Amino acid sequence: MNNQQPIGEHLLFIRGTHWGSSLSPAELQNAMTAFYAWVDGLRGRGLLRGAQPLMEEGKLVTGARGTVVTDGVFAESKEAIAGYFLLSTDSTAEAVRLAQECPVLAYGAQIEVRPVADVCRPMADVKAATAA
Amino acid sequence: MHADSSAGLTDDLFRRESGRLIASLVAQLGTHRLQLAEDVVQEAMVKALQTWPYRGIPDNPGAWLMQAAKNLALDLLRREQRWNEKETSIAAESERWLAAGDSPMPTDDEIADDTLRMLFVCFHPQLSMEAQTALALRTVCGMSAAEIGSSFLTSEAAISKRLVRARQLIRELALPFTVPGVAELPERLEGVLGAIYLLFNEGYKASGGTALVRHDLCHEAMRLAGLLLAHQATRQPRVFALLALMCLNASRLAARTDSEGRLLRLHEQNRAVWDQRLIHQGLQALANASIGDEVSHYHLEAGIAACHCLSPDEARTDWQRILSLYDQLMLVRPSPITALNRSVAVARLHGPKEGLAEISKITDRSTLEAYHLYHAIRGAFAAELGRAAEALTHFRQAGNLATTPSEKDFIQRRIREVSEPG
Repeated sequence: MNNQQPIGEHLLFIRGTHWGSSLSPAELQNAMTAFYAWVDGLRGRGLLRGAQPLMEEGKLVTGARGTVVTDGVFAESKEAIAGYFLLSTDSTAEAVRLAQECPVLAYGAQIEVRPVADVCRPMADVKAATAA
Repeated sequence: MHADSSAGLTDDLFRRESGRLIASLVAQLGTHRLQLAEDVVQEAMVKALQTWPYRGIPDNPGAWLMQAAKNLALDLLRREQRWNEKETSIAAESERWLAAGDSPMPTDDEIADDTLRMLFVCFHPQLSMEAQTALALRTVCGMSAAEIGSSFLTSEAAISKRLVRARQLIRELALPFTVPGVAELPERLEGVLGAIYLLFNEGYKASGGTALVRHDLCHEAMRLAGLLLAHQATRQPRVFALLALMCLNASRLAARTDSEGRLLRLHEQNRAVWDQRLIHQGLQALANASIGDEVSHYHLEAGIAACHCLSPDEARTDWQRILSLYDQLMLVRPSPITALNRSVAVARLHGPKEGLAEISKITDRSTLEAYHLYHAIRGAFAAELGRAAEALTHFRQAGNLATTPSEKDFIQRRIREVSEPG
């Protein structure tokens, strides 16, 4: 059993960095307008806590001591995280619904919906064990 | 950054910026780098789409896009330079630009200059007419190959191929990125205006379901004329006259077909649907065109269009004035088609018999044989004279020559009218 508790927030990760690359300027404009309308809708309903795009460049740190630092494959990957939106909603169903309304899906982007937890899993397990 | 909303996004921001950015980059990199300029501008706009919505539109979207495109171009050139280290000429060229990479942003005036130069590259007489218009629509108007293809009722692949060949030719001929000098300018400008008018007419011929797409061509043609007028060197009466002609003709676009897309004759059109804003714009351009003593054929054709636009209905059209404008047009730029159109004005003033007589006076009449309206007009005159059999022969010939579905349908309706009178 997972002992983590939700804190009433969800993160939407926009995945994919190359969607929209074949659109014409007019189509890009339409996509942009639709994307903005979606963001404005979230903000207007007081659901938007924060949002940031991410650079395509980044580093991947691996190895037990973090000694392996590579460039990663962020730019080329369909799954790479391009940015996130932090929403104040405790219902995953609602977060999913909001994600479904996001127009970038139509252009090939993917959206990952994740509830934000109070603490990380090991910490939650420790807390649960000490409480018991 | 604007806090919250897309208020900074004007309707055609991306399309407009696309043309400005490509022109500006080609100015810096040379015409042989046209493809690279187009590619990085496209990528910069995609980047904008993927980053702006998170935090709002940058205060100066154009500058943002320019910087992004420049950075992408620098990256590409650096990569190429590493690749071609031994080829010193390429290395030296990119070196120069890389060194100047942090030069200041071009001003609006500089971009207007570059756009004009870009236009003269696109409409270079050594490129075919098809290549010229496709290239201008792609690079200056920011249309994609697919959009251009559907406007010209051809495939995206065909347009892409045309564009590739045009860019190749520009490289091979090493076309300069300049506005032609004073000696050369009048002739070059005439070529540009001719191509723009051709583009406009391509859209004006619009038919059936594709009408809306093709009206785009009309608007792009008007925009291109506007770009010429934005520049001192090409802000000339004949350019105003061409703009006037296009505005006045475009004002009737929506009224040219009925709700089922059927072509309507002038007297069948609902004049309330004529676009008053365009008529106003056209008349204003015509006024600007009248400064000075130049009278180009565009002036006269715009004058004729203005007569139609200013008339409250077909019956009250000033045919006398239209005929005198046609008479002048025949002096400035005689052509069988102009003579044919003139015959309509003659018929309106003096009757269909006179109209037919005028047609029979046209020298080089044989060149009109393949033109469906030549037969349609003769058919209409014959029908007015009650000569049904003769009218039918002409209309049938017109029907065989008509190319678009709406033209064919238009002729079929004439045929039915003649064969089933009343």
